[in-house]
Amino acid sequence: MVDWLPYSLIAPLMIFIVGLSLFPAGVTLVESFFKIQPLDPPNRFNGLENFTTLFGDPAVRSSMANTGLYVVIGVVLSTVLGVVMAVTLQKNFRGRALLIAVLILPWALPGVVEGIVWSGIWDSNTGLLNSVLSSFHLISSYQVFLGQKQLLTIFLIELVQVWQITPLSALLVLAALQNIPGELYEAASLDGASPWAAFRRITLPLIRPGIAIAMVQAVIATLNVFDQPYVLNGSASTGASLTMQTYFISFQNLNFGEGYALSLLITVATLVISLGVVKFVYRPVEF
Amino acid sequence: MRQRSWARPAGVAFILLWSLVPLYWVLNTSLQTNAQIGTKPAHYLPPTPSLANYVTLLSGDGELASSIRQSTVNIFVECAVSTLVTVIIATLAAYAFARMTFRGKSILFYAVLATMAFPAYTTLIPLYQIMSSLGLVNTYAGIILVYVSGFLPLATWILYNYMSSLPIALEEAGYVDGAGRMQVLRHVVLPLARPGIISTAIITFLFAWGQFLFPLVLSSDLSTQPLTVVIAALQGRHVVPFSLMSAAGVLAVGVPAIIAVVLNRYIVSGLLTGSVK
Repeated sequence: MVDWLPYSLIAPLMIFIVGLSLFPAGVTLVESFFKIQPLDPPNRFNGLENFTTLFGDPAVRSSMANTGLYVVIGVVLSTVLGVVMAVTLQKNFRGRALLIAVLILPWALPGVVEGIVWSGIWDSNTGLLNSVLSSFHLISSYQVFLGQKQLLTIFLIELVQVWQITPLSALLVLAALQNIPGELYEAASLDGASPWAAFRRITLPLIRPGIAIAMVQAVIATLNVFDQPYVLNGSASTGASLTMQTYFISFQNLNFGEGYALSLLITVATLVISLGVVKFVYRPVEF
Repeated sequence: MRQRSWARPAGVAFILLWSLVPLYWVLNTSLQTNAQIGTKPAHYLPPTPSLANYVTLLSGDGELASSIRQSTVNIFVECAVSTLVTVIIATLAAYAFARMTFRGKSILFYAVLATMAFPAYTTLIPLYQIMSSLGLVNTYAGIILVYVSGFLPLATWILYNYMSSLPIALEEAGYVDGAGRMQVLRHVVLPLARPGIISTAIITFLFAWGQFLFPLVLSSDLSTQPLTVVIAALQGRHVVPFSLMSAAGVLAVGVPAIIAVVLNRYIVSGLLTGSVK
């Protein structure tokens, strides 16, 4: 006799997963190979045409380069800063719990509003950065930081996303740090190892699993960045990301077929790079 | 690790400055007039602190105030309902996956977890088309359905891990006393799993509050647009003075910021249950 209770408990979940996750993901996969333009019917199979059009589109190509920079800058910075913050919190001290509350604050806030918050820092007329730099006489007049030079624009926009994603990296690394037995450090100290040597020889190898997970979440977030460049730099080519291009192609040009194809490319890139990070960074650790 | 004496204070100072300076700055500009924030160098403290910007945003019959008020109602409705639905569905499913044996269990569970590997925006266009064909674009229902589908896998995973870690002896005692499985869920598992359920609810609520691209696509006017979408649109038009934009920004980060500071223990434990395995 079949026991129906477990099936009825998971039924609502499975309806959502199949109907609004797996089925739409399948649609993206299949319809990437179709011409779908609501204003220019009918839809038809067109093979790789969406992909060749995308790769020939200068706006898409510049957004690929931009997104590559977002990923590299974002993953490196969030990982390094996350490790620094986690090591700061490794041992217990007074006020540590409060500091963790302050640490996770930027993670909890909406990315799009964080863009607005930071626009008050980068602004060319009223921004904090201009004010501080000119107070220290590092610049003679207020500068336009965003939308002029591509690398600077991308760095400053990505810093806003790094602000948002680093808390999670720090927590993941911190969780790995707390598993390291204290005796290892005592032994190293008895052997006369410097703190830096202990960090490199003991801490770093043993937190590799935590770093790998932190880097994967950073890859997923940065490859799909949308809110921060959209708010801080609009559609300007100096900062537009791949996800922004997907949005413009699908919902402004109403070319769903190409939008599907670009979504598929982003998804495949996310999966491939995430697996690469796991392969090269992750090492199982046993105590 | 034996740290050099300056290392920890420097790290602590860095975390404090990194997290708080941007938030201090937006608060500072929101308490000034637009003329005051235009001075060079900037005022690092508001010269005449005033809540005038907040009053302009929240009271009055103007278009700006009414759009901020309506979109605040929208974001609360969308976050609260999608959190409630997500937590109920995820709790029932997590209990089945953690404590029951049934045919196809592992395949179904892996199917749920596999969806976490896709970036959320993979399904943006098809979800828009599905909601469009169901007539649910620009409705609360459409937005909530999409949110719930996006948040369910992580919520189920956190609750599955939490319930699996609970001692099974208490549940067995319940069965010995003749209770059914749903009674054991209600009177034994749910009370024990409360911290995990609270963590899941908080994280889900914060995710919902942070949404932007999905509601940008799925809602077309003020009847459903959440605060995030309305504020970004104001910023894009460059007609709203920056002091007023700052006050709007403070309103939109206020709720999640308070939740994060007050309930951070639940967030940390939930995130770690959800990501480390």
